[in-house]
Amino acid sequence: MKIFFNLVMATLKDMIRDKMTVFWFILFPVLFMFLFGMIFSGPQNVNFDLGVVVEEPDFFAQSFLANLEQVEMLTLFQGSLEDELDALGQRKRNAVLVLPDIQFGPDLFNEDQSNESVAIPVYYDASSQANKVLIFMLSEIFNHVERGMQNRARIFTLDAKPVQAESLRDVDYLLPGILAMALMQLGLFGSLRLVYLRERRILRSLGATPLPRTHIVLSEIIIRLLMAAIQTLLIILIGHFVFDVQIMGSWWQVLGAVFFGAAVFVSIGYMLVTFAKTEESGNGIIQVVQFPMMFLSGIFFPLEFLPAFLKPVVRAIPLTYLGDLLRSIIIGVPYAFGLTTDLLILSGWLIVSLIMTIRFWRWD
Amino acid sequence: MKQLKGSADLASIVVRELTKRYGNLTAVNQISLVVETGEIFGMLGPNGAGKTTTVEILVGLRTADAGEVKVLGFDPVTEDKKLKRSIGVQLQMPALFPRLTVEEALQLNATFYPDPFPVDQVLEWMGLTDRRKMFTHKLSGGQLQRLIVGMAIIGNGKVLFLDEPTTGLDPQARHNLWDVFQLLQKMGKTIFLTTHYMEEAQYLCDRVAIIDHGSIIALGTPDQLIGDQFEEKAIELSEMGSENETILRELPGVTRVQTAHNQITLYSTHVEATIRELIQLEAEQRLAISGLAIRKASLEDVFLKLTGRSIRQ
Ligand SMILES: Nc1ncnc2c1ncn2[C@@H]1O[C@H](COP(=O)(O)OP(=O)(O)OP(=O)(O)O)[C@@H](O)[C@H]1O
Ligand SMILES: [Mg+2]
Repeated sequence: MKIFFNLVMATLKDMIRDKMTVFWFILFPVLFMFLFGMIFSGPQNVNFDLGVVVEEPDFFAQSFLANLEQVEMLTLFQGSLEDELDALGQRKRNAVLVLPDIQFGPDLFNEDQSNESVAIPVYYDASSQANKVLIFMLSEIFNHVERGMQNRARIFTLDAKPVQAESLRDVDYLLPGILAMALMQLGLFGSLRLVYLRERRILRSLGATPLPRTHIVLSEIIIRLLMAAIQTLLIILIGHFVFDVQIMGSWWQVLGAVFFGAAVFVSIGYMLVTFAKTEESGNGIIQVVQFPMMFLSGIFFPLEFLPAFLKPVVRAIPLTYLGDLLRSIIIGVPYAFGLTTDLLILSGWLIVSLIMTIRFWRWD
Repeated sequence: MKQLKGSADLASIVVRELTKRYGNLTAVNQISLVVETGEIFGMLGPNGAGKTTTVEILVGLRTADAGEVKVLGFDPVTEDKKLKRSIGVQLQMPALFPRLTVEEALQLNATFYPDPFPVDQVLEWMGLTDRRKMFTHKLSGGQLQRLIVGMAIIGNGKVLFLDEPTTGLDPQARHNLWDVFQLLQKMGKTIFLTTHYMEEAQYLCDRVAIIDHGSIIALGTPDQLIGDQFEEKAIELSEMGSENETILRELPGVTRVQTAHNQITLYSTHVEATIRELIQLEAEQRLAISGLAIRKASLEDVFLKLTGRSIRQ
């Protein structure tokens, strides 16, 4: 344990005395946060234009509309489906909601049939992230109305998810994105150090001492996690105090997600450089992987921008899920894929890359 | 295969018919040797002779193709963990964390071993006390070499493997290191070192193995080796062309003539008779002598005789 601690301290000293490490892993994400924060922190329109298509003005539709009207942020428009979709196409609406004709039977809210839900189509302009909040808001209102219509114990219990009270600005979306990017880069590029230690025969020289090799790797990983924590702290503090981003998740949730994400990308990093003989070739491999990943993962702009044929790629990329996880935990937007999916897919990547690395890694 | 028993108590290192090949090249060819506990054992040989290969097999960094090796009774391949805790290793071209200071590098290595020497002690031995705060990548070649030797010594191992410990050192630093090695020997340590320097082997080592093309061509104490090969003394004639070789060979007492680097060395059993005749030749102007030195035969002469080459070639 003492050996390990000393090794960690020595490695840490060796690493932070390298100005490039400090710049890329600490300063760069911070600069990025400042830059993007300054560009995107202006307030955006707090108003959503919502088109409502009422197919049958029954009790359900009436009460729903009444609820919608109470929401200050919404400007309501009523019209035919065709007209409203047209307006949506011309960006005059943020979303169009269709209240269908529901045949109220006596059993609609029976417990037995509570699984059968009625689909309420919502069309929305996916090019703005903020519209996702609108969708979430609508579903909350819908739940509220639904509960109001029943005179008995709730069938559905909704655990209150924190939702940003104020409108979300782009900087709010960017913060988790920048954090995800920083973690990815820390993990991927950080793995190059082991290649460097191998290439420069430092690993081999240490091999003549009683120090176990596993200690070397473990100390590298511990230091990565430490740096991840520092990055997170800096980015979140700057986001919060300089750009007024509201942080929804608790510290332990955020740190948990950050450590998990860092571990996934450290592991993927080692897998990528397993076959690299030199630091330079390793760097090349990582560049090829990280650059497209940054743009295909939706951490900086919505996935809906991307052409459909790229969707399978997007759904395979681990950064997509880390972005989703962090966005949800940090600023409280709903999960695009769900917490379980995010965790499962990230765990999958972690396990696969670990196995690959352990199987194929060469010490000299 | 025969078991390596019996000598295990006294011997720190036992090597039997060790062979290592790289493709077609046989880098180490069936060498056998035993190093007693408390001995300074030198392996002497020219570039590419197989010294580094041997050392790295002994410390478990490379695997042998054939033969048997025991260090402190441990097999370097299967018992490398136990072995590495009780030895100190200085590789020929080791690499360090570049941005640690001299002191930190020594301190780090010290923590790997159960009972290390104090850092200050090693700094003093290596003459690096005034460089202790310097980053290792800023050290001069000789300073770095001393640090590397220090890092091998600091673990207080029972057996020290030093691959060319004094290469690149100035004469004073080299003599300082010799003193340190002798001090360590007095503390009971066994030292296995390699070198190109004949003087070093002759001065420092209790026994020497001369290795060339992967084979041991002579093994014994320096005096034994010289005595075995030479009853003669050496007369060195500098600035002497090889065209004079025939005349010189005819001189009284001369048994062998060696020509190298515009210098001729005569090995003579009757030095006085040879010299008298040499002066006679000069007086008759049949020979121009610009420099003459008489010395005892050395390991260099042994090497020259055994291989026909100078070790620095
Ligand atoms: N990893 C390797 N692969 C192939 N050949 C090698 C390898 N290591 C050493 N050799 C060859 O084996 C021979 C012995 O090398 P070794 O390093 O043991 O010599 P050495 O006696 O230490 O020489 P020097 O005095 O230059 O350090 C050389 O001809 C060398 O080219
Ligand atoms: Mg060598």
